[in-house]
Amino acid sequence: MRADLKHAFRMLVKAPAFASIAILTLALGIGANTAIFSLIHDLFLRGLPFKEPSRIVHLYNSDKARDLVDVAISAPRYQLYRDGQTIFDGFAAENSFAFTLTGLGDPVQIFGGRLTSNYFDVLGVRPILGRNFLPAEEETVDVALVTKNFWQKRLGGDPNVIGRSIILDGTPHTIVGVLPNMPAAWFGASPTAEVWTTKPFQIPGFSYAQIMRGSFFLRVVGRVKPGITIQQARAALPSLEQSYRAQHPNNIDSTLTTMLRTLPEDVTRNFRAGFVTLFAAVSFVLLIACSNVANLLLVRFSGRRREIALRMALGASRTSIARLFVFESLLVSVIAGAVGAFVTWHFVPLVPRMASNFLPLEANDATSLSIPVLVFTIGLSILTGLLIGIYPALQGSHADLVDGLKEGGRGTKGSLRQQHFRKILVGAQVALSVTLLAGAALLIASFIRLSQQNIGFRSQNLWTGAVTLPTSQYPDPSARQRFVEQALHELRRVSGLESATISGDIPLVGFSRYLYARGDRDVPPVEKRAIAPGHDVAPGYFKTWGVPLLAGREFNEHDSADGQKVCLISQAGAKEIYPGENPIGKSLLLAGLPWEIIGIVGDVRSVRVAEAPGMEIYRPWAQHNFPFVNITVRSNLKVDPVTRLVQSALAKVNPGLAIATPQTMDAIVAQALGQARLMTWLLGIFAGTALLLATVGIYGAVGYTVAQRTGEIAVRMALGAQANDVLRMIVRQGMTPVAIGLVVGLGSAFALGRLLGTQLYQVSPHNPVLLATTAILLAVVALIACLFPARRATLVNPMQALRAE
Amino acid sequence: MIRLHNVERSYPLGRGQLFYVLRDIDLDISQGDFVSVMGPSGAGKSTLLHILGMHDHGWTGEYFFDETATHHLKAKERASLRNEKIGFVFQQYHLLDDLTVYENLDIPLSYRHYSKSERTALVGDALDRFQIVGKKDLYPRQLSGGQQQLVGVARAIIAQPKLLLADEPTGNLHSSQGEEIMKLFRKLNEEGMTIVQVTHSEKNASYGKRIVQLRDGWIV
Ligand SMILES: Nc1ncnc2c1ncn2[C@@H]1O[C@H](COP(=O)(O)OP(=O)(O)O)[C@@H](O)[C@H]1O
Ligand SMILES: [Mg+2]
Repeated sequence: MRADLKHAFRMLVKAPAFASIAILTLALGIGANTAIFSLIHDLFLRGLPFKEPSRIVHLYNSDKARDLVDVAISAPRYQLYRDGQTIFDGFAAENSFAFTLTGLGDPVQIFGGRLTSNYFDVLGVRPILGRNFLPAEEETVDVALVTKNFWQKRLGGDPNVIGRSIILDGTPHTIVGVLPNMPAAWFGASPTAEVWTTKPFQIPGFSYAQIMRGSFFLRVVGRVKPGITIQQARAALPSLEQSYRAQHPNNIDSTLTTMLRTLPEDVTRNFRAGFVTLFAAVSFVLLIACSNVANLLLVRFSGRRREIALRMALGASRTSIARLFVFESLLVSVIAGAVGAFVTWHFVPLVPRMASNFLPLEANDATSLSIPVLVFTIGLSILTGLLIGIYPALQGSHADLVDGLKEGGRGTKGSLRQQHFRKILVGAQVALSVTLLAGAALLIASFIRLSQQNIGFRSQNLWTGAVTLPTSQYPDPSARQRFVEQALHELRRVSGLESATISGDIPLVGFSRYLYARGDRDVPPVEKRAIAPGHDVAPGYFKTWGVPLLAGREFNEHDSADGQKVCLISQAGAKEIYPGENPIGKSLLLAGLPWEIIGIVGDVRSVRVAEAPGMEIYRPWAQHNFPFVNITVRSNLKVDPVTRLVQSALAKVNPGLAIATPQTMDAIVAQALGQARLMTWLLGIFAGTALLLATVGIYGAVGYTVAQRTGEIAVRMALGAQANDVLRMIVRQGMTPVAIGLVVGLGSAFALGRLLGTQLYQVSPHNPVLLATTAILLAVVALIACLFPARRATLVNPMQALRAE
Repeated sequence: MIRLHNVERSYPLGRGQLFYVLRDIDLDISQGDFVSVMGPSGAGKSTLLHILGMHDHGWTGEYFFDETATHHLKAKERASLRNEKIGFVFQQYHLLDDLTVYENLDIPLSYRHYSKSERTALVGDALDRFQIVGKKDLYPRQLSGGQQQLVGVARAIIAQPKLLLADEPTGNLHSSQGEEIMKLFRKLNEEGMTIVQVTHSEKNASYGKRIVQLRDGWIV
């Protein structure tokens, strides 16, 4: 056995060209698989650092009829479920939140949430210092939990951290515990959550009555009792729903139905399809790589017939010879696995950096060499080695004594079988490549559609940053209106800023939804009303964003808090809600009050780039606002200088405010397309690799056939075949498996289209033009790959070739 | 029918030197002739035959075939002249292993302008004439050497060439099998076929009408 391995190693060293091509090819395949597996491991398999995460469920509400899917839970609903349920051991809620932290250097915005006191107990997270919240602290006490990172970076690892006070939104909070850093998969990677307080049912700017009417904002989790299955938990939901509907029939969320998903399922849901696709893609790449190397091995092993015959003459058995060959292929694949893994560990850490906003990857963890990934790679390498080695080894060891020792004889039966095998390999490669290429083509086409989608505003040269106004200083709408007036006044004096505006939210980042109804019709009950994104905007908003006013007028300084309530609606909304009518002058009911529609503005993709525009409602900041402010500035300066300009203008109004996540709108749009872009890139790269490998494979197979058949070609030429005859013969024989592979590949691309369907934007997964283009591309490339060796065949000189026989 | 004048064939030896395989060959072969080329191994016999068979064109000099100056022809024209006029028999038979006897006979026809029915008819004739009808579906490895060469000859003349070239056609055969092939050649020659064969055997040469001796590339 040792001797066999040594022999295998020596054989590889003796054939450096073969060894390097085979190792490189397989390293590509194994490396790609390792990369995707390590991402999958991080995202799907590693699991959340909670106690029994698969027993924790996340509750959602939906009402398809009102276009509400997977929305959060309202406070009254949470409270009713909490008190009425019997399926959960613990039931908790979180309201994610951004705080302004002051008193530790410059004011900064930090992220986290407001929790029910039992939240971390339900998740099963124990603090590393101090304790979790106590029930008594839930409604009234200002306490905080911070992460280890917060403690070490912002508090310098202060040993007396417990009991220390930090100022959040102007209010001192006492730190009661330090938590381990929280998983990005649940709390998000960008921004990272680092502080939590209590008072989960309060939202600054919302009255108690508003909250109890059923506004939904809570992320609710429950830990299913031991002995109760997820199905049983699901089955218990309708009765809870019903009692909510009975007790709060007029709440805005009373029609919603509740569903639940386990946490692991929940955090992976959005990219599951994407990763299934990627995993399929890299498997294809590996299979293509395998078939290339299997072909090389076949050539190599059958070329050693003399060696084998000699060994057999000396008493070796067929199995021992086959084992020798299998060792050789294993050696190749294991070295390739090591090379692939090495390269992968250098590239995988790049992914969290590219994808932090849509893939919950821990940036620092991904670099570590994890045991499961290692096991996967080693296992895959061995499997690969066996896969590529078995057939060639059996074929190679087939050589019989007499045949092997005497030279000559063209076209034995064995080689016919090998030719057949080679054709199957080529056909399979082509089929796999076409499938992959078609998938990539669909994704690319979809991505192009998506990135060319008119999003309704001009994102170039737009800077934006968020500010939370502390309720202690800005307790009511008029205080917040004064802030906006002053801030805009200061911002507009800054030279270098073309224009500036303020709004409660910005497109593609976050938004509020409002119930609305036509004021000139029978008003449906609250729980049946439609819902649409609503935006509170200061004067100048539409000019700064470049959103066109299509009819009526914009807001101005006269639309003040005590003036007539006015609003603007989007064009799509106008068409949908007021078909064939002029909505201007009509009234829209918002929270029970009539608002006069004074104009129509262009459609903006405010929720998602891929979501078709619908009703959007704009209200003047002076008439409606919350203590969350987005400042948007049009300027051709870079991000940092603009941030400094805005910060100093802001400091003149209130030096205690911090700007969170300052960035360009272009970056936000790019991030919104990030997942699609990453998928497109990865699949594009894998498809390109597949095409390259398949091309090399076809070239190699046809080339080898030509080399093997030189004698036959020479005879045919001596019997009258001309260059064109030979060319046609080789190309025809080379392209036959390609054609079969194309048909099979198109079929499987068609069948796999469903997998891609959910990831495509305005492209049918069965788009005939794309599929045909892919097939043609591959056919042309394959033809070229055939033509080179075929041309070589036409240059055979019959005299020379027959002499060499 | 054939006139070679000052034909020379050489290979580069390296350092600008040439190795001459054929030197100043002048040779006339008339219609109906049966020539045996003899000489020691390495004398250039095969080379000469391949030049006559227009498989090689790396030579200098003049080669007239029926008044056509083949040395002025383009490769394509030469190929079609060859296809029309010349058949070739190899020492190693060179039947294609993966094709049946029938299919082997059909190869030359597939590269010439014959219709499907003409091809069927010609292959049928050849099978009859060489009395191998019963073997038409066999593969070459199922035949004896003599039978294989019989097929080789049948394949060489199936497209009705005027000139038959044979490079040691009996070299791999027992003497009795060889004799049969020679008798066949004589019969073909009597029917008007011009034949040039390479042979080592005086006995085989005696079937021919005259002998050309080659030595170190020279006709002696
Ligand atoms: N491609 C070549 N390069 C160099 N020498 C060659 C080549 N082909 C043939 N020769 C030489 O030409 C000479 C004549 O060969 P050949 O015509 O086959 O001889 P014969 O058939 O008489 O035995 C030999 O010495 C051979 O080595
Ligand atoms: Mg010879």
